Amino acid sequence: MPHFSNKKLILLLVSMIFIVALISFSLRDRQNATLPEQFIKDTVGLAQGFVAKPANYITGIFNDINSLLNTYEENKRLKMRLEDFAALQSEVNTLKSENTSLRDIVDKESSLREYVPIQATVIARNPDQWEEKIILDKGSSSGVELNMAVMTAKGLIGKISLVTPLTSEVELIQTNNPNFRVSAVIQSENEEIFGLIEGFDVDRNELIMKRIDSSLDVKEGELVISSGLGGIFPKGILIGEVTEITTDDFGLTKMAYIKPAADFSLLQDVMIAKRTVITIDEHEDIKNEQTEENQNVGE
Amino acid sequence: MIVRFLIPLTAIVLFLLEPVFALFSPINLNEQTVFLVPRFLILYLIFVSIYYSRKRAVVYGIIFGLLYDVFYIDIIGLYTVLYPLICLIAGSTVKFIHQHLMITTLLSLILVALMEIVLYYFFLFINFTTIPFSDFMMTRLIPTIIANLLFLVMLGWVFKYLINARVLQRARENT
Repeated sequence: MPHFSNKKLILLLVSMIFIVALISFSLRDRQNATLPEQFIKDTVGLAQGFVAKPANYITGIFNDINSLLNTYEENKRLKMRLEDFAALQSEVNTLKSENTSLRDIVDKESSLREYVPIQATVIARNPDQWEEKIILDKGSSSGVELNMAVMTAKGLIGKISLVTPLTSEVELIQTNNPNFRVSAVIQSENEEIFGLIEGFDVDRNELIMKRIDSSLDVKEGELVISSGLGGIFPKGILIGEVTEITTDDFGLTKMAYIKPAADFSLLQDVMIAKRTVITIDEHEDIKNEQTEENQNVGE
Repeated sequence: MIVRFLIPLTAIVLFLLEPVFALFSPINLNEQTVFLVPRFLILYLIFVSIYYSRKRAVVYGIIFGLLYDVFYIDIIGLYTVLYPLICLIAGSTVKFIHQHLMITTLLSLILVALMEIVLYYFFLFINFTTIPFSDFMMTRLIPTIIANLLFLVMLGWVFKYLINARVLQRARENT
């Protein structure tokens, strides 16, 4: 058995208190990184980038082989959809030109839909996957800011939760964090149905969309996109597809389960959406504080 | 000369490889999502602690634990404590347990399982997770242990060989 002298015991106690203080400090302030933290993050991020690039290349080869094996099946399926696609393309073109001409008429230049994409590579995923989080190789020096939307070609995956000069962290939408909300729209046949995506059902592997007006009729299979009204995300990013509709706990509004469009298991290249419409950040901060206060009251 | 730096170098490489392997997880097995957590670094540090030097392993544990906390977890002090603690426990068993490769492998897996359970209760405590213990067992603990067992079966003897090379070299330097 190890023998403790008085001096060692005091050292042990002091370091324990210090550690507990550190943990509680880092749990409270999670929006900004301190200077030494930023330094460590950038250095490790740089080294991580060197390892991640060849690793991504190798997994890319495996993916290519995998898709090569499915080529025949896929080709058949794609050929069937190609005819629809041509018709759709012409429709989109006419709608686009109509949209720009209408915009010219009303003198409205900016749109919630517009954003500047920043390409980024995933260099790491939080290895102990308790918090759903990935780390990207672009930081504030590339123009990345807090709360920006992050997506793949398939759809929305999360938002930026922490930025250092050379790296940034993404909180995925599968998170348990109750403050993570996305203002979303269900694209119904003839109207847009608004709601809030908040929460993730671990058992079903699906997102939960709440606060849908109960008088509106939502059908399964309808697509869900971001509404752009939350002040951070641009409009029109695909989120997923409705799989089930129920009433929520109080029976006042509807609740929908949404199957995410993006594939979360092998993330490599992502896009950070920098919205071009100016947003008022202070407002966002106030909202965050309010939700925090609400949470405290709830506890 | 090179052998001298091989031990810390291996630790750095394993540290950087962990998140790359984490990108493959979670996987869907029989309609159940399974999380595989790579724990390469701590397994290696346990080996260092048992075959080489307890003190050295604890120091590495503190350094890499701190890096791990700052870069991935954002809760400073969690792995910074757990890594050296695990190394300390591993180093203390040397006196009681025979140092055969099989036994060391088994022991490291038990220690990693212990660490996972402590982490689970920590994250449950701070409300990062709400899953019950049985789910944690099925979707995280058992798959993680199996994955890391595979890793150790493949590379455990390399670790032992590497560390023995360093031990021999040091013995030669001292004489």
